[in-house]
Amino acid sequence: MGTILISAIASVFLAGFLAPWLHRIAGPRVGVLLGFVPLAAFVAFALMLPQVAAGTPVQASWEWAPSLGIELSFFADGLSLLFLLIISGVGTFIAWYAAGYLHGDPGLGRFTLYLFSFMGAMLGLVCSDNLILLFIFWELTSITSYLLIGYYCRKEASRRAALQALLVTGGGGLAMLAGFILIGRETGTLEISSLLAMQPGALVESTVFPIIFTLILLGAFTKSAQFPFHFWLPNAMEAPAPVSAFLHSATMVKAGIFLLARLHPGLSPSPLWTAVVAPVGAATMIIGVFLALGQKDLKRILAYTTVAVLGTLTMLLGIGTPLAIKACMAYLLAHALYKAALFMASGTIDHETGSRDPDHLGGLRSAMPFTATAAFLGGLSMAGIPFLIGFVSKEYFYKALLDADGPGVLWEFLGVSASVAMVALAATVAIKPYWGSLKPTPKTPHEAPWTMWLGPLLLGVAAIKFGLFPGLAGERLVGPAAAAILADPGFSADLKLWHGLTPALGLSVLTLALGGGLYFLTGKLRSARGLYSFLAKIGPERWYDAGLAGLLGFAKWQTRFLQNGYLRNYVLVVGAFTTLLVGRLLPLDALRPDFTGMAGLSVLGVTTCGLISVAAILACMATSRFAAILALGVVGLGIAVLYFLYSAPDLAMTQILVETLTLVLFVLAFRSLPLLKEFSRRSIRIRDAIVSAVFGSVMCLLVLVAFQFQPGEAPISGFMSENSLLLANGRNVVNVILVDFRALDTLGEISVLAIAALGVLSMLKTRPGKEKGER
Amino acid sequence: MNSVIFSTTNRLIAGLLLLFSVFLLLRGHNLSGGGFAGGLVAASAFALQSLAFGVGAARRMLIFDPRSIIAAGLVVAFVSGLAGNLAGKPFLTGLWDKTPLPLIGKLGTPLLFDFGVYIVVTGIVCMIVFSLGEEEEG
Repeated sequence: MGTILISAIASVFLAGFLAPWLHRIAGPRVGVLLGFVPLAAFVAFALMLPQVAAGTPVQASWEWAPSLGIELSFFADGLSLLFLLIISGVGTFIAWYAAGYLHGDPGLGRFTLYLFSFMGAMLGLVCSDNLILLFIFWELTSITSYLLIGYYCRKEASRRAALQALLVTGGGGLAMLAGFILIGRETGTLEISSLLAMQPGALVESTVFPIIFTLILLGAFTKSAQFPFHFWLPNAMEAPAPVSAFLHSATMVKAGIFLLARLHPGLSPSPLWTAVVAPVGAATMIIGVFLALGQKDLKRILAYTTVAVLGTLTMLLGIGTPLAIKACMAYLLAHALYKAALFMASGTIDHETGSRDPDHLGGLRSAMPFTATAAFLGGLSMAGIPFLIGFVSKEYFYKALLDADGPGVLWEFLGVSASVAMVALAATVAIKPYWGSLKPTPKTPHEAPWTMWLGPLLLGVAAIKFGLFPGLAGERLVGPAAAAILADPGFSADLKLWHGLTPALGLSVLTLALGGGLYFLTGKLRSARGLYSFLAKIGPERWYDAGLAGLLGFAKWQTRFLQNGYLRNYVLVVGAFTTLLVGRLLPLDALRPDFTGMAGLSVLGVTTCGLISVAAILACMATSRFAAILALGVVGLGIAVLYFLYSAPDLAMTQILVETLTLVLFVLAFRSLPLLKEFSRRSIRIRDAIVSAVFGSVMCLLVLVAFQFQPGEAPISGFMSENSLLLANGRNVVNVILVDFRALDTLGEISVLAIAALGVLSMLKTRPGKEKGER
Repeated sequence: MNSVIFSTTNRLIAGLLLLFSVFLLLRGHNLSGGGFAGGLVAASAFALQSLAFGVGAARRMLIFDPRSIIAAGLVVAFVSGLAGNLAGKPFLTGLWDKTPLPLIGKLGTPLLFDFGVYIVVTGIVCMIVFSLGEEEEG
């Protein structure tokens, strides 16, 4: 099973990487064809259900960096499997939908690459066993979502939204990484499965727990768009509709919820958990529905309701009772089904009519029967009408709120208010555009191709199926997921449609009645621009803008100050800082160096040093560039001679070659350089002389100290020279170090070299004053 | 630069330099030399060519675009490291064929790695020299 799990995830990545190439040779049909890859993954995950429901997680693991406790380890328990199924199932429909939505777009291959990479990262994220691995997948989803949101990269708004999402979620991810590292330090393991197996509360007792808790929450809240980080999610609606439907409803934004659920056994024993997580979730829920009511764009309405649902899920996790956890997982499943369907349907409307304003849409039912049906089913589920999964999940939501020790009846009040708004909003997005009289739209509406309505329709059918037979979802999906969150393998969740005449049922009826009433007020709210534009002015997005502007301003200032384009200033800054940093650390006895054990002086050595010094002074005094270069050449070659004298032929050879090539480069650049006309003032020359003299002395002392420094054992050079032939089959120790003992360093160095060379190239090619189009 | 002596000498010397660079690369594991030094020597052959006959001629002699060469070198170095993984050992573990071959010596993945370094260095220096040279030629 473990192999199947990995192969399923890997095949999604592979399909993505082949997509651009396949698209080039086979055209747009590829999108439909590739949709079968996540479908196959879905089937594979579904086959794991019986084993996981019986309480045995699927596991697979490879060594990666064992010395750091980082493994390529995966495990899928009930929680992971619920997410795996949602991601791959919805992902299949999204792949088909995208093929229809972007039909004829030459970038479809590239788009599919991003989409599948995202899907693979998301699949990997939810079944990572290692926290570092989870972090890598986490940031991979941030990066791929950046590419997806910014897909229409010629639009300024797209680019801005993409950058905003990346900075907010990526930044939160970094905080989360810090939290993970602290967890690893405190508990001694980075494996989630080992963390879950620990005594509950083991982590909570740590002295740095509040820090860990804050950092992890930062990661989860930014990703799952909790207040005050919610603003990036509606802006991300600049993305093409399939992206909004996939990332911003069903999957990526749920990664934060997943993280909270995953770490629930470790973090929730602390009183901080309920005190922080539940109120933040409740606030997000209320802010989400309130802002959703004021939107004039179907996608933005859906985006804000997503924010609200994420708030609800967070709140339920924060409450943390077994009933709340069960409700949370049922709500999550219901939301994934209806929200993906509604997003796709609203994208279809946009695609076929050219408008997304609910006040300008109506009567599309007859023109687009399949889409209308799908949206209708989704809307019913969102509103929580009986016989749909949305009803069941809302019942459990209410039951959990009634059961929890909240502050008075506040939780119940907030929950009902949000649900009432949800009913009105469901009617706005799922009923209003399709019923009533047909309104004129920019394009004449007609039904979309099957790729675009089949998915939403099937999701709607699934919502009915789980609504009629909630026990099915309870036993196989919700139950095992809740058991994993509660770290209680015996926990079983039997979802029921009918509970009798309970208070929860009463609240449901009340919700529907009030929601129906609110619907008739929504038109007025949408036109109340004053209130919403005032809120936008003081909202947290302003803080983001101000923060970003401040950061960029600071970056600009320090770049102008420290990197002003004059090489001489760079050398001065680097030299002065190194002197300060190193000089401060040098022990005082460095001033009384011990020369024992060093090679003696030789006539040739002393002469060469003298030559180097003279040449260096001449280089400083030279009044022509050519003379300075020649003098510097003497310095370089003199150093090469020193290397030869002290038996470092490799260094000497490299030094000579570098000197030679520097000369060649200089000859090439020579003609473009202006003549030396102005020389530095006397005071500046004195300053430079002092800085360079101190820098040279500090470096000299550093070398002397390094020579005497013996960290307990024999110097590493001994090991290297003894083992180079033995272990690495080479007599040249320098080369063996470069290509074998320290090959990873070399690999890093040549990568850096290559990047630096690309930098040089781009600077040469884009110099100001060069004509455009010239290569 | 229109110097008959320079261009005539260069015709003779370019091939020798390239041969010498390969020699440095191959002997590197046991004697002075190696991929870095070899790459610099090879690059200097192309740099001289560009000085003598212009950047166009040097580019033709190099055949491939320096950027592709750099990329290829990085890939070669990386793949040579993956060989260790395939053998079930850590990344970049050297694998050797212990029978020495004439002229070349023993074959092993570190040699392949060094070859990657060799072409990366050649590519980088060529890229910079060519760009500067084209700047000059206008």
